[in-house]
Amino acid sequence: MSDLVLELRPPESQHYPSWRERLDTVARYSQPDEIHALCEKAYALGARLILTVFDDTIREALVAFQRWRDVQVWAVVPNMFAFIRDLTDLGLVGAARARFMRLTPPAMVRTGLRTMSALGGIRRRDLAVGTMLVCEMELAALRGLRVTRLFLHPQVTEIALAAGAPAVFMALAAASERLGIDPGLMTHNPLRAAAVLGPELRRFAPIIAPCNSKGYKMFPNREECERLFRSDPARFIAAEVTAGGTLAPEAALAHTRALGLSGAVLDFRTVEAAFGAGWTASVGAGATCSASTFQPR
Amino acid sequence: MTDTRPLRAAVVGAGRMGMIHGHLLSVYPGTEVVGFVDRDTGLRDHLASQGLSAPLYPNVEALFAAATPEAVFICTPTHTHLTVVRECLGRRVHLFIEKPLATTLTDAEAILHLATEARVVHAAGYVYAHLPIVQAAHDLLARGVLGETLHFSAHAYVSEVFGPKRGWFFQRELSGGGVVANMASHLLFILGWFFGPIRRVVATTRSLGTAMDDSAQALLTFSSGVTGLLDTSWSMPGAQMLDYGLTIRGRRGTLVLGRDRILLHLLAPADGHDAGWSEIHASDLPADTAFDVSPHIGGEAFYRQLDSFVQACRSGTLPFCSLVQACNTQRMIDAIYASATSGAPVEVS
Repeated sequence: MSDLVLELRPPESQHYPSWRERLDTVARYSQPDEIHALCEKAYALGARLILTVFDDTIREALVAFQRWRDVQVWAVVPNMFAFIRDLTDLGLVGAARARFMRLTPPAMVRTGLRTMSALGGIRRRDLAVGTMLVCEMELAALRGLRVTRLFLHPQVTEIALAAGAPAVFMALAAASERLGIDPGLMTHNPLRAAAVLGPELRRFAPIIAPCNSKGYKMFPNREECERLFRSDPARFIAAEVTAGGTLAPEAALAHTRALGLSGAVLDFRTVEAAFGAGWTASVGAGATCSASTFQPR
Repeated sequence: MTDTRPLRAAVVGAGRMGMIHGHLLSVYPGTEVVGFVDRDTGLRDHLASQGLSAPLYPNVEALFAAATPEAVFICTPTHTHLTVVRECLGRRVHLFIEKPLATTLTDAEAILHLATEARVVHAAGYVYAHLPIVQAAHDLLARGVLGETLHFSAHAYVSEVFGPKRGWFFQRELSGGGVVANMASHLLFILGWFFGPIRRVVATTRSLGTAMDDSAQALLTFSSGVTGLLDTSWSMPGAQMLDYGLTIRGRRGTLVLGRDRILLHLLAPADGHDAGWSEIHASDLPADTAFDVSPHIGGEAFYRQLDSFVQACRSGTLPFCSLVQACNTQRMIDAIYASATSGAPVEVS
């Protein structure tokens, strides 16, 4: 396995075993320094990639972290929960305006020009056009960050996959190309993605999908997902590796390595657990599936 | 012989929930979307851009003139549900109605009456009840693992209202109420499913940002004798998605239901579970879902909800999430508001 990926999301947008743990975690990760420290722990474990949905706190932490460490940032856009909240409070125009006002003047001009060229799609309320405008405004607001890969938020991805609407993925690929970065795909439904996108699936790498020995969150089932993974393992990165925290990190990573996947996504709990247990580095470079890839500190 | 033809379904109301149901109906192997209904026919291109290519009709009459749905998913604003049900039952179609069932108990009971008279299959969209972990908790209680159930405590929190809000959802006469009717009702449905008909309610509500209930506390007594406290708020910072929890105490132990797991404490071994604490995680439960339409909100529960409804339509039997159970939920909502208004306990007949 070559890549360990730290996954960040606004702490308010995650599920917790208890309200108390929610309060503790949200309070903690509302501080950029705490996110920075988490990134540092993940780095010590070998993670050189950070996959993230952005809020202001995460952006601030990652700008500082990228000055200090050579890590790639993979952006998951748009922040759907924030966008839906703004839609409710401000309406579509207000939500778009709020994002527009965060841009620098040059970015405002670029966005304005893009909007003019997309007026037809905006009038039609075209999903691909609207989604990409919001995505590009969010990306333009990430001043000072080096983003190397672009993923659609799973709430958009799964909806587009359900009804078989490849246009939004093609729009993501086109926008990525324009921005000089690569498009990826993050989904709980990789088989559906393969069916909907067909040969175009090759344009998206990596594909991040749940993969664990319990089959947790692997839709429609573990066997079919693993068959797809084995067909081109280097293209896939495993998510949900610990099956909701029920598998030990070492065993979880060993499973994904055995399948030959190109990497694994670690959430904050897994990073904290692995770091707290005294494991450190060399996982990213490790190619074997033994526990020796995690070395006691 | 089993009927393997796809169930022809239409979606009335092409807002956020209508689109989710449209997507699910598109991906579910046993259904076919034959039409959408929405007054805003300008949504046609929007739907098409999402791959939802079924025709869009301006009203139910136009839908029925052009198509023959066997089931209708009603996803319009709550205050319209009764009217739409009346229109839909001009034909014999099975009904799936998004929660809450109605803005008043009277309307909810009228809807149930109409559906019962029409002898159609019906279900309500209390999606969290379809989470495998919630069903596992129900099964544990049904098997008597806790012995006699005594009491519970429950919470349902979300970060939604921190000031004035716009739209029909935040107008009581259109949406049926605030956090109790529209968020905590998910948990009320589960409580009713677990403990049976509601008997008595003492409640207080408070407005913080809207003119409706933004938080509420309710002491609920069920006909089964189970009592418990529900605390709910949609003005709680830190939870972009509904955070709920339920602790149930019985004579033989305690069950703590969270989002992805059950913590079980038993005084003595029962039903294959050891004495002391044990955990059942969602990942330990059988997987039976082919598609996850919303990984962060509802997850596979949406697919399981649809599957439950389709199977019920095929067999002609009512699912556990029928309008009968939804009316029990509506009685709780109604009694909570009545108690909060009067400041007195409300007995539910």
